[in-house]
Amino acid sequence: MMKKIHFVLIFVSVLLLFCTNAMAHKVNLFAYAEGGKVFTESYFPDGRPVEKGKVLVFDSQNKKLLEGITDEKGLFSFTIPKMDDLNIVIEASMGHKNNYKLKKAEVEAGK
Amino acid sequence: MRTKYLFYLLISMVSAAIIFTCVPASAHFGTVIPSDDIISKDDSKTINIQIKFIHPMEMHYMEMVKPKQFGVIHDGKKYDLLGTLKQAKGKSPDQTENFSFWTSEYKIRRPGDYTFFVEPTPYWEPAEDLFIIHYTKVCVNALGKEEGWNEPVGLETEIIPLTRPYGLWTGNLFTGQVLLKGKPVPFAEVEVEYLNESPGNKNIVIAPSDPYVTQVVKADSNGVFTYAMPRAGWWGFAALNEADWKLKYEGKEKGIEIGAVIWVHTIDMK
Repeated sequence: MMKKIHFVLIFVSVLLLFCTNAMAHKVNLFAYAEGGKVFTESYFPDGRPVEKGKVLVFDSQNKKLLEGITDEKGLFSFTIPKMDDLNIVIEASMGHKNNYKLKKAEVEAGK
Repeated sequence: MRTKYLFYLLISMVSAAIIFTCVPASAHFGTVIPSDDIISKDDSKTINIQIKFIHPMEMHYMEMVKPKQFGVIHDGKKYDLLGTLKQAKGKSPDQTENFSFWTSEYKIRRPGDYTFFVEPTPYWEPAEDLFIIHYTKVCVNALGKEEGWNEPVGLETEIIPLTRPYGLWTGNLFTGQVLLKGKPVPFAEVEVEYLNESPGNKNIVIAPSDPYVTQVVKADSNGVFTYAMPRAGWWGFAALNEADWKLKYEGKEKGIEIGAVIWVHTIDMK
């Protein structure tokens, strides 16, 4: 009996491994400035949000300005920290990482 | 003897009639071609879109008046873009006269799939004694979010891609389903053409004979068709049906060929 359960558990774990690997290749972050704030949206290619992903914001000198955590919709927003080129990095679980560069002109346009 | 003669005459007349109705005189295609079909994070977010009515392989332009509808679907919402259209002129190298086509600039503001669609003003084709309306669409993917490409626009007739319509390699199969008023069209005829004016096309493809110009595939009983694209560039798929309504030309009621057209882009594996 125990053996059977073990087998089922292993089988299910292997299946789960396949499931996550198939979809979780890449994370993406998109950002725009509007009304004095920067809005970020983090997602997988199929549109699922990146939940509890770490967002890091750097200026043009690569100095970290702030960081935060995405909500259940993959969203994280913050007040414009600086009129500068912003490099916004998303760090999801399992080392998945990506960035988005918001140009100074775009930041200024969203003042 | 006389009956035999009449019989053969009848057979040849019927055959001629069948040939005339089945074989298109020339394959007209509505086109809606964006300057890029995949917008990555470092790309320009503004794309240029060109809307034409042409013979894609032979590069011949036809005069196109302002479309009735031009818009985009993104994240389940439809946006009217008719007001953004600007008239332009163009022709093939062997045409002497210039013809009108339409262009638009569109700024991508959010991630996801953008399906651009055009409903042209009915085009009167004297050679075929009918009007032509090609409902044409193309999908542009933005910023890594691959969501929306298989959603119907809700046009009178359209091709629903079953293959994701971007990020395609040369040689890939393209599979789509032909819908008419939202229902699959069993055994629909689909014409396929290569756009010789595709940006990056190394040399103009010259067809050795007519059947090479327009490829023809038939859909299965669920309206599903498949075609393997042998060259890098833009490929157009046009499923043609007759409308169940008529339009008047010089006071007489005329039939309407309605086409569901979709464009997809391939690149070579290097």
